[in-house]
Amino acid sequence: MNPPIINPAARNSPSPLPQLPVARLHIPRRLFSSFEGVFHEELFFLILSVFIGIFSGLAVVCFRLAIDWMHLALLGPLPQNDGWRLFAVPALAGLVVAAIVIHVFPSIRGSGVNQTKAALYIFNGVIPFRTAVGKFICSAIAIGSGQSLGPEDPSLQIGASIASALGRWLKISREKLRLMAPVGAAAGLAAAFNAPISAVLFVIEEVIGRWSAGILGSVVLSAVSSVVIVRWFLGSEPLFRIPVTTFKRPTELIAYAVLGIVGGLASVVFAKSIGYLRPRLKALPRWTQYFQPAVAGLLVGLIAFLGAPQIMGAGYDSMDQAMHSQYTWEFLATLAVLKILATTVSFVSGTPGGMFAPTLFIGAMLGGAVGDLERHFFPQLTGSTGTYVLVGMGVLFAGFLRVPMTSVFMVLEVSGNYEIIVPVIIANTFSYLVSRGLQSIPIFDLLSRQDGLILPSLEESREETILRVEDAMLPVPAIILSAQDYVDANARRIQDSADSTFLVRLHPSGWNTVSRDELQRFFQEGKGELTLASVLPPQSLPSLYPDLALDAALRYVNVYPLVPVVNRADSRQLEGVISRDSVFTKYGSTQRVAGV
Amino acid sequence: MSWTFPKLVPRSAPLVLLILTLAAAVAFAAVGHLVSRFTANQQARGRKLYVLGLADASAARYDDAIAAFRAALTCDPANSQYQLSLARALRDSNDPRRLDEAESYLIALWQRTPQDAAISLALARVAAHRGSIEDATRYYHNAMYGVWNSDPDANRRKARIELIQFLLKKGAPDKAESELIALATSLPPNPAAHLQAAQLFEQAQDSANALAQYEEVLRLDPANSSALAGAGHAAYRSGNYATAQRYLQAAVNADPQDADSRQLLTTADLILRTNPFHSHISDAERNRRITVAFEQAEKRLTECATQMNDDFKAATGSPASPLSSLQSRWTAAKPNLARLRSPAETDLPDSIMDVVFQIERQTAASCGPPQGLDLALLLISQKREAVTQ
Repeated sequence: MNPPIINPAARNSPSPLPQLPVARLHIPRRLFSSFEGVFHEELFFLILSVFIGIFSGLAVVCFRLAIDWMHLALLGPLPQNDGWRLFAVPALAGLVVAAIVIHVFPSIRGSGVNQTKAALYIFNGVIPFRTAVGKFICSAIAIGSGQSLGPEDPSLQIGASIASALGRWLKISREKLRLMAPVGAAAGLAAAFNAPISAVLFVIEEVIGRWSAGILGSVVLSAVSSVVIVRWFLGSEPLFRIPVTTFKRPTELIAYAVLGIVGGLASVVFAKSIGYLRPRLKALPRWTQYFQPAVAGLLVGLIAFLGAPQIMGAGYDSMDQAMHSQYTWEFLATLAVLKILATTVSFVSGTPGGMFAPTLFIGAMLGGAVGDLERHFFPQLTGSTGTYVLVGMGVLFAGFLRVPMTSVFMVLEVSGNYEIIVPVIIANTFSYLVSRGLQSIPIFDLLSRQDGLILPSLEESREETILRVEDAMLPVPAIILSAQDYVDANARRIQDSADSTFLVRLHPSGWNTVSRDELQRFFQEGKGELTLASVLPPQSLPSLYPDLALDAALRYVNVYPLVPVVNRADSRQLEGVISRDSVFTKYGSTQRVAGV
Repeated sequence: MSWTFPKLVPRSAPLVLLILTLAAAVAFAAVGHLVSRFTANQQARGRKLYVLGLADASAARYDDAIAAFRAALTCDPANSQYQLSLARALRDSNDPRRLDEAESYLIALWQRTPQDAAISLALARVAAHRGSIEDATRYYHNAMYGVWNSDPDANRRKARIELIQFLLKKGAPDKAESELIALATSLPPNPAAHLQAAQLFEQAQDSANALAQYEEVLRLDPANSSALAGAGHAAYRSGNYATAQRYLQAAVNADPQDADSRQLLTTADLILRTNPFHSHISDAERNRRITVAFEQAEKRLTECATQMNDDFKAATGSPASPLSSLQSRWTAAKPNLARLRSPAETDLPDSIMDVVFQIERQTAASCGPPQGLDLALLLISQKREAVTQ
């Protein structure tokens, strides 16, 4: 995995992330002094994860209430009764949000995922608490007023911010403080989605960017505890009422593959629109930032006013209705297109809010449209509209957010139905491949690069070519000396060899080396009648396995001239040897191929 | 603006955990208070919207009702009553696309409270809208055996009657009949209930049970003209002409304008007067009735042949038509009339009447429904056949 670096080319561009004070870096021994051995830092961190989950869950409950309250206050319970509100409220709210963001919370622009990731890799786990406050207020106003954004990304960042604040308050070690933000992010996302498994996977796939056993326990604990809190207060009702979903014939997988391809293309359009418009709007004069969210709101309001109020806000109710065949395929397709447009303008205008819910919305509508259309031409397809809508959600998640594992578990967790796992995997795989083929940089990486940050990602590490020991391994040497043989016998064996160092097989197992000079010295010292084992220093070389990463060899090749590479099933069976020259030669050739 | 955090002076882990626990408890209580207040407001708003939705639904403005119920549900998402009402509005809107959503709501409710009869009934109606006999029967049965909040017996009866009507509409009289038999055992002593059951039995073509129900009505309300006519009709259809005559006479007396009953009464009278197999008549009377029937059969045969231009009396070489063959049988049987008086000829009445019945059945098939004495003879033949079988 690449280390996080600041892109030199972007150093002069204004970063959305403020230069934050670095947390105290000492490990506070006093914290654990009272119960030394009982409350060691690892255990304390796990317990702290539960509290992070609780506090994040409570914050997300308040956040959801705030959005609901805003929605009722601004748009009313029956928005179709007041057309003018649809038109005016998002624009007016956009003005208010822009003013608050510019003057009070300038750091809340941008993706919460990337800011959490930056906290982990760049800012030593520090996310200012004011970011949580700002996200809470501005996102509640924006989403409540109908801007086409979702509450999940802000929830994620609120959770991460709370965790970071707690960590700094308790002055935990820098190493742990860095991990606090992802733990809080998992709690926030799990609470927002009411789906702990998906939240854990997302944080690992996208925020942490690597599988780490050390943090997994904390992430799971915080996610589960936050979901418990949310269910305690808001009930355990799922996001959607899942209709009967069916998958009967394997041949129907072709229909789902088509959905995957369409979803992949839509993901590319969506990502490219954001990638194209965002830097251009950011480059406009500063005074325009006061009006960008308002213009976005005006467009959203216009779309709603003209007959598609479903695209406003997160849109979970509309997804639910799509799942129950309430719309024709033409309307579903229209909603998908309009939602891409509305979300793009809402997001690129700098309005705080996330893209998770809109992604699900677009996928749901697209899935329903493609499914209905396919069934129109092929009536023998048995999948219901609800099935296609569900699969469609995962498709956009996989294609747009580029989190293939999360996308599968998201659908399964939301639907509670494992019957559709095969269609989901097939469709998501196609969507992911199409999206990756046409848009090499995932959306979160794109956004972070536009902000001047280059952060590691799991997708990047998945595609890295890993050099292994076997790549640099030399063949088994022609001469292998035996430690049980006499020195003079061994000296005779190497007479005709041009090598300077020889591998020695120890008895009953193990390996050592001896140089030509050493052997000659032993002979001259009159030790020719002694066994090699008795004159060599009593040490056994470390051995390597062919499948180990070549990096693992680096720690030995400077110490030992030859390192044996042995079979995992039989450590006496030599597969080859490795030396400093062979390792560096391999690294050198790889760099030349890569053009470095 | 910047936030600073108070420093925690004693840094021991147990104390930190204690403080965090206390902070969590305080935050929990505060959020709980907030949520309960918000929920109370939302529920009040939801109730208003729900009332609005009910008004729209009762005025058959289902689109408005659906919007109002949806809005009510956004205020109080877990409210079963709102979900049930929305599901009903979706179902009653006569839009097939909405049945899925209605069913989804109802199934979610049913999974939560499978014993709730109202939910099962709503699910049954959705299944009935879809035309699924199996699902509808299952859910109607769930409704019948489920828990009703008020007046359980009446509601269970209504559910069963609804199921019976659905089964009859779907052309499944056998299944309807078994439900009807169960219904009949649970009817209250109420003439209207028995009258409805009797009419349903008639639709299920179970005249015997229909007659029993009409008689129960008449036991409770002897002057009930609908029951009198119904009992007469049911008795007539089941071949019980003496009973039919009695009830039809009473029905005609009660309502002289009842032309159907009057016509059936005429036929029933005729049957009773001409049936040679009646058990309480003398041999002479029986022979007379056989003779009258035999002559009527010949008359009917001739009329039918004329109507069909079938000159069977002239035909000699061509293949025999059904009517000419019957004419031959009639001619062959005619001499037997003279032997009716003989006590040794015990099978003779049956063989002569067999010719009569065959003629009546064939002419009914060839020349249309008979009238008067021919109709009586045809009905006697059908009853005779049913008794024989």
